[in-house]
Amino acid sequence: MIARTTAIAGIGATEFSKDSGRSELRLAVEAIRAALDDAGLRPSDVDGLCTFTMDSNSEIAVAREIGAGDLTFLSRIGYGGGAACAIVQQAVLAVGAGIADVVVCYRALNERSGRRFGQAFASPDADAGWHLPMGLATPAAQVAMVARRYLHDFGASPDDFGRVAVAARRWAATNPRAWFHGRPITLDEHRASRWIAEPLRLLDCCQESDGAVAVVVTSVERARDLARAPAVIAAAAQGSGTGQYVMTSYYRSPVAALPEMGVVARQVWAQSGRRAADVRAAVLYDHFTPYVLMQLEELGFCDRGEARHVIADGRLPVNPHGGQLGEAYIHGMNGIAEAVRQVRGTAANQVPGDGPVLVTAGTGVPTSALLLEPVDAQP
Amino acid sequence: MRAGRDPVNLPMIRNWLEAMGDTNPVYERDQVAPPAMIQVWTMRGLAPPIAGDPLGDISEKLERDGYAGVVATDSAQTYHRLLKIGEEITVRSRLESVTDPKRTALGEGRFVTTVSTWLVGGEPVGEMTFRILRYRPEAPVETEKTAKLRPVVTADNTFFWDGVAEGQLRIQRCQECGSRRHPPGPVCPACGSFRLGYDVSAGAGTIHSWVVHHHPPVPGRRGPFTVALVDVDGVRMVGEYRGPRPGIGDPVRVFFDDGLPLWRPDVPQLEPWTLEVTPTLVVSTALATRDHQNVHHDRDAAVRLGSRDIFLNILTTTGLVQRFVTDRLGHTTTVTGIRIRLGAPCHAYDTLTFTGQVLPDGVEVIGRTATGTHVSGIVAVQR
Repeated sequence: MIARTTAIAGIGATEFSKDSGRSELRLAVEAIRAALDDAGLRPSDVDGLCTFTMDSNSEIAVAREIGAGDLTFLSRIGYGGGAACAIVQQAVLAVGAGIADVVVCYRALNERSGRRFGQAFASPDADAGWHLPMGLATPAAQVAMVARRYLHDFGASPDDFGRVAVAARRWAATNPRAWFHGRPITLDEHRASRWIAEPLRLLDCCQESDGAVAVVVTSVERARDLARAPAVIAAAAQGSGTGQYVMTSYYRSPVAALPEMGVVARQVWAQSGRRAADVRAAVLYDHFTPYVLMQLEELGFCDRGEARHVIADGRLPVNPHGGQLGEAYIHGMNGIAEAVRQVRGTAANQVPGDGPVLVTAGTGVPTSALLLEPVDAQP
Repeated sequence: MRAGRDPVNLPMIRNWLEAMGDTNPVYERDQVAPPAMIQVWTMRGLAPPIAGDPLGDISEKLERDGYAGVVATDSAQTYHRLLKIGEEITVRSRLESVTDPKRTALGEGRFVTTVSTWLVGGEPVGEMTFRILRYRPEAPVETEKTAKLRPVVTADNTFFWDGVAEGQLRIQRCQECGSRRHPPGPVCPACGSFRLGYDVSAGAGTIHSWVVHHHPPVPGRRGPFTVALVDVDGVRMVGEYRGPRPGIGDPVRVFFDDGLPLWRPDVPQLEPWTLEVTPTLVVSTALATRDHQNVHHDRDAAVRLGSRDIFLNILTTTGLVQRFVTDRLGHTTTVTGIRIRLGAPCHAYDTLTFTGQVLPDGVEVIGRTATGTHVSGIVAVQR
């Protein structure tokens, strides 16, 4: 039983920049200390740590630096940004099983000033060996292959991708935390931005960022007594699809779909007793614009091929912080923090209401999602 | 407006054909000039520059500004009709554009584009858009050698890469239930059998999706390049695609290059032509095209200017492209346009290999040396 047993009691982050000037370990510590302060907890309260397999900061180094004591739960999840909500699920499971009481989930990266994920790297991975040597060597190019097929299958146009970017930058423009605060874009600017991997342009790709985000998970019961109103975890799900590859699931049909997000969606609605129509705001992983459209379809906000209309008419607030296109690319973790703020009612672009807030993790890979809601909400 | 030195004449035509090694008898039989010779009639040869020539003026100015290097990059010629022996040719040229300084592989440079029209009397008989790069020669930047990303060969896929080495496209097939799959693995996901073999594919597929990679650079490759996801024999595979802009559903065929399977449009291919580029070829063709730039006949001068040796001039490359197409499609084929882009220079002692394929809108020709692509382009023909 996962639904409504645990809550996010605290969130913390560093500033989001292009060059933090600090080590990733220090960023992690800063974000975790901020999250514990936010929750009204001390480092000595922490007994569990979870992060991404890609994170360079070992749990034990983090524990030493923040001044935590004994740990009873240490866990990591793979598949890049797909881990974001899954590490929170790890925390939920640990707390639910009584293994740990206060689990901190963190991600710290100097992704712009250090290793840039958008570049082409050699990989010893056998799966990668069917793509990288053929020249399909960057995440943008790997997504572009799916994006081209999406346009073809559904008669969509690159402008439909552009509208995702324009919407994200409009939200970011009024979010002081966002890198692109005060800098909205027009559809014409999207059309004029340079090709990265046709049919994707520069403005279809999220930014590159330095920064860290941490969230604190504990039981709803304990969270009630802490400093902040709990963001109750109504659902926490992970999923991988049939024929899954990392960014290159081209060998199943249809190509222009994200069945792993469908796996996640079914669990989210089943765990929470909610449905897509209940969602007040959706924080969808947006490393590349086409996957925002495909997620809306997999999550049940619209039929397949119809997501462009959801974006165009603005019926559902998507990424009110500006997303990774507008706020920062912290591998999806800044989206979780935004979902918590929306639940608390403290977001820069607050969406009114008390309905649940959905947040998803990286797409094109095994992925995950959370549904958060205020304490004592009635489904 | 400038007149050619001589009218279209048989001696120059014969010299040109001889230098190119072009044995097409049609020109002499019909008393016409090879289309690709059009620029030759109005080449200035050794004549001194004339004052007030817009092209000369800009060239001089750029040279004074330090853009001492010059290299032709693009030539797009259209031939409205064949030129007859005895016809007097004039040329009208104008400067179309000079770009702002750009970073190029050779150094900071500016592209100069000119447009020329050839006339007989008042009748336009041919046109050309010609682009050169004027650059400040600089020592090549020491860059880290970026090795091409290589396949990851494992016990589960050795058969595939062995096949590529032998020029075969092998698709894994379960010997128990007959299911095909790609990428291959150690076990059949359909029936669980470890008894796996492969079929040799005929290599005919269709494009399922495709991307054009522009940025960032991929090690060992020069962008933009196209990568396709291909449906073939009931499986899909990813490979570089070489050819004109594709579309989803287009038929493609596999070929092999540098240890990888690649895809090209499934259209008739011209039999490749391999040419040993001797100094004699470089010099005789330069003179037959009335191009007396020293880099095409004087090895010392070429080396002094940073080249490895003397190299082919663009008029010759154009002529060789025409020869390749008419030799392969038949001598009665009339060439109505040659649009080419120049890449790596073709030096004396290089081996130049032409390949070509017949596309709906012309014949695509690529000429490669060991260094890279010397020329690529489209030849428009009437058959």
